[in-house]
Amino acid sequence: MARLLQVFGFLSVLFRGATLTFQSLAVGGIVFLMFVVRRAEEDSAALRHACLRWIRRSALALAAMQISYVLANSIILRQSADMPLRDVLGANFVLAGVIGIVSAFTVIALSSSTRSVGYADLLLPAVAIIASSVMTSHSVARLEYRAPLMAFTALHQAATATWLGGLPYLLIAIRQAPSPEFARRLSARFSQLALVSVAVLASAGFLLSLAYVGSVRAIYGTSYGAMVATKVLLFGLLLFLGALNFQLVHRGPASSILASLKRFGEAEIGIGITVILTAASLTSLPPAADLVQDRVTGSEIIARMSPHPPRFGSPSVQELPEDAYAAQKKAFEVGSLSTESYVPGQTGTRPNTPAEKAWSEYNHHWAGVVVLTMGLLALIAQAGRVSWARNWPLAFFGLSAFLFLRSDPETWPLGPVGFWATLADPEVLLHRFFAVLVIALAVFEWRVQTGRVASDRGRLVFPVLIAVSGALLLTHSHSLGNLKEEVLAELSHIPLAILAVTAGWSRWLELRLPTENQTRSVMARLWPLCIALIGVVLLNYREM
Amino acid sequence: MRPGRRNFCAFILFAATAALLSVPPAAAHAVLLESSPAQKSAVSGPDVPIKLRFNVRIDALRSRLTLIRLDGSAQALELSKRSPADTLSAEATGLAAGAYRLRWQVLASDGHITRGEIPFTVTSS
Repeated sequence: MARLLQVFGFLSVLFRGATLTFQSLAVGGIVFLMFVVRRAEEDSAALRHACLRWIRRSALALAAMQISYVLANSIILRQSADMPLRDVLGANFVLAGVIGIVSAFTVIALSSSTRSVGYADLLLPAVAIIASSVMTSHSVARLEYRAPLMAFTALHQAATATWLGGLPYLLIAIRQAPSPEFARRLSARFSQLALVSVAVLASAGFLLSLAYVGSVRAIYGTSYGAMVATKVLLFGLLLFLGALNFQLVHRGPASSILASLKRFGEAEIGIGITVILTAASLTSLPPAADLVQDRVTGSEIIARMSPHPPRFGSPSVQELPEDAYAAQKKAFEVGSLSTESYVPGQTGTRPNTPAEKAWSEYNHHWAGVVVLTMGLLALIAQAGRVSWARNWPLAFFGLSAFLFLRSDPETWPLGPVGFWATLADPEVLLHRFFAVLVIALAVFEWRVQTGRVASDRGRLVFPVLIAVSGALLLTHSHSLGNLKEEVLAELSHIPLAILAVTAGWSRWLELRLPTENQTRSVMARLWPLCIALIGVVLLNYREM
Repeated sequence: MRPGRRNFCAFILFAATAALLSVPPAAAHAVLLESSPAQKSAVSGPDVPIKLRFNVRIDALRSRLTLIRLDGSAQALELSKRSPADTLSAEATGLAAGAYRLRWQVLASDGHITRGEIPFTVTSS
């Protein structure tokens, strides 16, 4: 039963994140069609059909994700509370899901390619999609200011969909535009819409933060506050790219700016997805304002983050608990767990032993040495003076082997748990996946750096994987309570995540921007610097 | 690659990335703020009023309180229908002196499910 609940709990979070993403794409497409394309003076039939096609596909994916989410959450509720089906069906999340599913299918039905003009009828299901999402947001469960918080959440999500969800349609529009001048006009119109959306998004976000975070101390003292701050930082990165786009649209001849516009748009979409998923991760955390005890203090953060010599000596495997899962279960049974609330299928958390902390610090510090070396070599290679420095991606092989050996000491080859048995554990599986990911990085990027890969797509593997890794760090598991150790660990992971996202998308822009764009040379220096800084942050990582 | 095919690949990549990125946060956000009996407290029996207050609105119809005895036997407690929106209340009656655990599971109004346990001891009055 516990395993079943764990699997469905895991799936329901996955579906929730995907639902928010596809919701933004479907609603963003509808707004784009109505306010950007419809007003275009020239014939835009092909573009309208392309937008309708992608709106249909997004709505279909949204419906599929909603159905999956409702099913997974219903199964968890039914199994964990032994609840009759009719009671489950009356739950608020089921009602919200049904509204979302019916709205998505209405969008599919109304967005047939054969229709030509007038898309006002699509607005109603778009509003219903946002409403269904608000019904499963924090706002609906609040005890105070429920109605205004629901309204701000709706505005925040609608503005996010208009801006970030509209961006892929802008790229489609630029690609399909009959002339460069037409594409420039569409881009200018989207820029205006994006400006309004950003203003609404930021204002609503600020008001929601006042209610959910509540104080400056909660920003750095809780997981929720730290994640909100991360969202704001990524939002700043997006605004910077948006400003570059805005500048491009309003100056220079159309023919020379479109290629740059597309590339900045791609990076914005990537960072935008990261922001949406950070938001999805926030919905699973208790608001900071609710957790007033055991917050991390400024002096605790300074004490933890201040520079300290790296740990290059590791405790032996024998010093670690033999079976971490059994130790956790035992701790739970005797009531020594540090959290009182958890989700079905989880067993709560157990404080790490000093040996486990030392083991983890050793892992981070050696990884830091490897990553810092790679970053510095990449910087040297970019300068073009030392040819062998281009082989820097080979260091990833060492990192992968290190990760494979050290990330789960209780499992094969260091520990007693067999290789196949460990694959049933999602956490171990994730670590194994990372080890394979690092090898993929090594192979692809080494081939790119040494000129063995000519295709554009192959060159993009490295930036995409780096950016994905950064976003993964942001959506890593969070504590439900204010567990100081977990909050402090998260605070040290956030800079890593932001640096990785920046490294990934700056490398992407270096590869994709046209050679005449001057930003390209800045991006070429930025990503190796970010990698070197990741190494520095890892070297200073501490758990005690 | 044709533009349509390329768009489709981009869409799949977008979906896969979205799915991949949103995997780890297995958590929910209804947390227990206070409880009576409190964690590891001693209360006098045989009748013990139970009250759990959370940080958000709770769907009481779809929430559960279960009393676990030392021998592992479980008794579902009937929830009071007159509790505030953020509170679960019940009364455990006829409890003999000894150790108990109160297992709770709540469905928050936003659809998140959370659970936990409160160990406590009943003393003879």
